Amino acid sequence: MRPLTDDESRAVFEKLANYIGKNLIHLIDRPDGAYCFRLQKDRVYYVSEESMRLAISVARPNLVSLGTCFGKFSKSGKFKLHITALDHISQYAKYKIWIKPNGEMPFLYGNHVLKAHLGRITEDTPEHQGVVVYSMNDMPLGFGVTARATVDTRKLDPTSIIVFHQADVGEYLRDEETLF
Amino acid sequence: MDVSNILASNTAKYQSITVEKETPLEVDPGLLLVSDLNPIDEESYASNLEEHLQSLARDGVQALLGSLFSLPTQRSDEGPLAQLPPPTTAIPRAKPLPKPKPLTKWEQFAKAKGIQHRTRDKRVWDEERQDWVNRWGRDGKNKQVEEQWITEVPANADVDFDPRKAARDERKARVTKNEKQRLANVSRGQGATNPRKAEIEKTLASSRISTASMGKFDKKLEGEKKMRGVKRKFEPTEKSLEAEKATSLALLSRMDSDAKKVRREGPKEEKVLNERKAVRFASKGRGGVALGRETARGKGKRTKGKR
Repeated sequence: MRPLTDDESRAVFEKLANYIGKNLIHLIDRPDGAYCFRLQKDRVYYVSEESMRLAISVARPNLVSLGTCFGKFSKSGKFKLHITALDHISQYAKYKIWIKPNGEMPFLYGNHVLKAHLGRITEDTPEHQGVVVYSMNDMPLGFGVTARATVDTRKLDPTSIIVFHQADVGEYLRDEETLF
Repeated sequence: MDVSNILASNTAKYQSITVEKETPLEVDPGLLLVSDLNPIDEESYASNLEEHLQSLARDGVQALLGSLFSLPTQRSDEGPLAQLPPPTTAIPRAKPLPKPKPLTKWEQFAKAKGIQHRTRDKRVWDEERQDWVNRWGRDGKNKQVEEQWITEVPANADVDFDPRKAARDERKARVTKNEKQRLANVSRGQGATNPRKAEIEKTLASSRISTASMGKFDKKLEGEKKMRGVKRKFEPTEKSLEAEKATSLALLSRMDSDAKKVRREGPKEEKVLNERKAVRFASKGRGGVALGRETARGKGKRTKGKR
């Protein structure tokens, strides 16, 4: 377990800023206690200071997980967000999209969001913007990247993709052994 | 009047100024140091530790002060000052031992070959003069040839051959060579690496990772050393989180300003024609190469038609 280097923090922050923008400051500078990012076996964890200090005494091979896993670094140094980060992302999400009940299951099986399933969407969402996907009763289901700007979605046919799937809560079951 | 009672009470109040122990205390007034080599009295140690320690300390200080007052004194404005003798206790040195001098190249060679160092006499015996003369320096033996009043000239010598100058040049060349070697020894001793060697090693390192597999499946040569990468250095995990927060906030603001810079510059040259899109449209999504091939073929056809 170690703190992130400058480049690593930059990669993590850039990825997070895709979804929550400037609200990222609230993750770093929290009023309810000190939290930090820690790297352990390529995975980035968001941990409170208390549990981080406890985990210091655990040897690296014995430490399985701590805090909240935010994602992992690929071998080429890219950062990939995991669904486990959804709690924190949905809390501060800038752009949101709500999908109809008949679109929930397809999305939870890892498919992209189609226009037919679109319930609501934040106004002025630009193209290729990270968005959090909610069900109609405001339950966060996952996150993705918009394929079109909000304005352009009007002209699309119902079968075209509007949000590319990135992560969904179905991964808790599908990728259970590698997720945390 | 009987004062013996008062005296007795006084002596009871003040402990004696002489400290008597089984093994006498070792006092080193030079360092103001007292060492008590007596074994610890287990009984008093167990019963009342604080008192035991206090009495030990008291005895030690008493012995030290007693020795201080027996020292010769010197008058000063603040009263008499005791003159401390030089310390007798050996204290471990604070600094590490000095490193041995780096060997010169000759010394290394001599060590490897087991050549003993022999001091040469500064003076040598001159047969002609029947006297001891300097090996070098004033009237040195090494200047004999250039200073003698008559010199033999070899039969095949040039017309302008100056034997004195030739001998002097030879001697001066030896001096410069020695100076050069001395400087090389100094720079080697300071750990200076050969720049040419460093360059070769750098080239070798870059060539070793310049294969498709980054050198993973290359044939290993005999005696080839493992390549050393750059050692990464990380911040300590148990650093204060305040500092970490400050650095990440600084990084965030830097990222923010970077983004603003890009926005101010604007997207690179908004052109009326989007080439990528135009090519995609014209080639019906098959790409620029296909479009180029098609137009070439079309031209060919057209020329045929004209004929």
